[in-house]
Amino acid sequence: MLIDVSANIGHWPFRQTGLKTCRELLGNMDRYGVEISVISNMNGIFYKDSHAANEELYREISSEKRFRGRFVPFAVINPLYAAWRHDLLVCSRELKFKGLRLYPQYHDYEITDPACIDMVRCARDEGMVIALTVRMVDSRLRSWMDLSSEWILKDVIPLIREVPDARYMILNVSGGIMLNDEDTALIRGTDMIFDTSGRNISDLGSLLKKYGNDKFAFGTHSPILDYLTGLLRIEALADNEADESTREMLRSGNAKRLLGI
Amino acid sequence: MITRRKFFRNSALASAGLIAGAGSAGMACSNRDNPGSYDIMEEALKFRKINAHEHVYLGSEPSSLINAADRLGMEKLVVSLPVTVEDRVLVTPEKFRECNNLVLKAMKLFPDRIMGQFYINPYYSKESLEEIDRCVSAGMVSMKGYYQVKINDPLYYPVIEKMIDLKMIILMHTHCGIGVGGYRTKYGNIQANASTPDDFAGAAERYPEALFQYAHTGGGGDWEYACKTLRDYPNVYVDTSGSNNESGMIEYAMKHLGEDRLFFGTDGSYYQGVGSILAANINDDQRKKIFFDNYNLILKRSGNHVD
Repeated sequence: MLIDVSANIGHWPFRQTGLKTCRELLGNMDRYGVEISVISNMNGIFYKDSHAANEELYREISSEKRFRGRFVPFAVINPLYAAWRHDLLVCSRELKFKGLRLYPQYHDYEITDPACIDMVRCARDEGMVIALTVRMVDSRLRSWMDLSSEWILKDVIPLIREVPDARYMILNVSGGIMLNDEDTALIRGTDMIFDTSGRNISDLGSLLKKYGNDKFAFGTHSPILDYLTGLLRIEALADNEADESTREMLRSGNAKRLLGI
Repeated sequence: MITRRKFFRNSALASAGLIAGAGSAGMACSNRDNPGSYDIMEEALKFRKINAHEHVYLGSEPSSLINAADRLGMEKLVVSLPVTVEDRVLVTPEKFRECNNLVLKAMKLFPDRIMGQFYINPYYSKESLEEIDRCVSAGMVSMKGYYQVKINDPLYYPVIEKMIDLKMIILMHTHCGIGVGGYRTKYGNIQANASTPDDFAGAAERYPEALFQYAHTGGGGDWEYACKTLRDYPNVYVDTSGSNNESGMIEYAMKHLGEDRLFFGTDGSYYQGVGSILAANINDDQRKKIFFDNYNLILKRSGNHVD
């Protein structure tokens, strides 16, 4: 069984992509044997009132019977914008979203901003998973209207240090995967996963040893990245790097544990 | 039962198996209509592969390169070792000869897997031309240029003319990032002498009989800009290597360049190199061309093809 922990729907404004809707994404999921996708709506990155994107996502997932049980929705909320707490509680209690994706760079706040920490604590108390995306796109080929810099892994560490008892997903790790001993210990002691879509997951066998078999899960970063590289990194592991039980953890077990599904 | 996947896993040098699997590459994606049946390793290993862009001793020893190649079913790797110094004066003939000697060493270690690609610096014209002769005599099959001199710089003319005579392709490092010359929307280069798509167009226009390989569309440059720029230059091929495996890149390149002008490559990003082609919305015959046939046809011109 495969669970993709890092898919998106919605519109990426700087280039044409496919898989913009649940229907399109479900087609790919069926084609490649992905049972469940964790999704959020990329429109929420660009709307000032990001909650409108959460409502769009809810409507989309509710629009067809066959979507039931196939998508795990995550909200996108800007903690600096008005009524974030209301929006978060609506997402958690009414729309039954399982998590919250943060975009500090796009929403223009520091990850240690008191509002961000407050929102993460609130989401934790609601039982939601916090998702942080190291980068949406490679800044080397960004649009002139997109962000000019991108995070590396250590940029998300301060938030985990502030709220260590929340559950986290760190997605599309594209830089700085080899943390120092102190930060590695923090990651090992946190209930979190990295998805396998990022370019830094180039030697998954060694990363399993460094961070633990329970710290990685299949992810695509769809529709920005290709749909299969994250899976190839798991399936190409040698037998002395991952046994079948570990592979199952990477395919779906770790995601199930973290998401409580 | 020994599955194809197990066979590759258990084989240190699996080239024989790679060759044996070529027959199925033209099959349609028949299992894709059956949810849950997609076996990515079966798909990855069923295609023969020539990796048209890889390096050795640039962060990876030959043995680790072969390990990656075995995992993903890469039969041949075309490897080079450029000097990563921008100042052209500092990349002396002694330095590029040293690099090429290391490539020759790797070729000797894995003669059935590694195909050598010579690296030169045309700033030292006479020595570069002599080095090409030396490397071709030693069995190397193509050329690698780096960011010391642009591909359309007159310094390159004698090298290109020699490569035309040899019927060999020139793989040139590229860059296509924004923000050069004060234009936010104009694509230029970070390294002053790295070749842009427009530089390739200039070289291709001057030498329509030469063979050029635009490096790593997935290497961080704007692949949309590159493919559109190069669409009318049939003697410029592109390799799809690089760490940035954006969705749609292969399809976009095919739309603008056609299915005969794309090469599979990795440039250190093995999973992205294979994964992006498997994920592309193209048919298996097209995948076969990208993974193997297109580059093999280039090698055939100089008699260095596989089989």
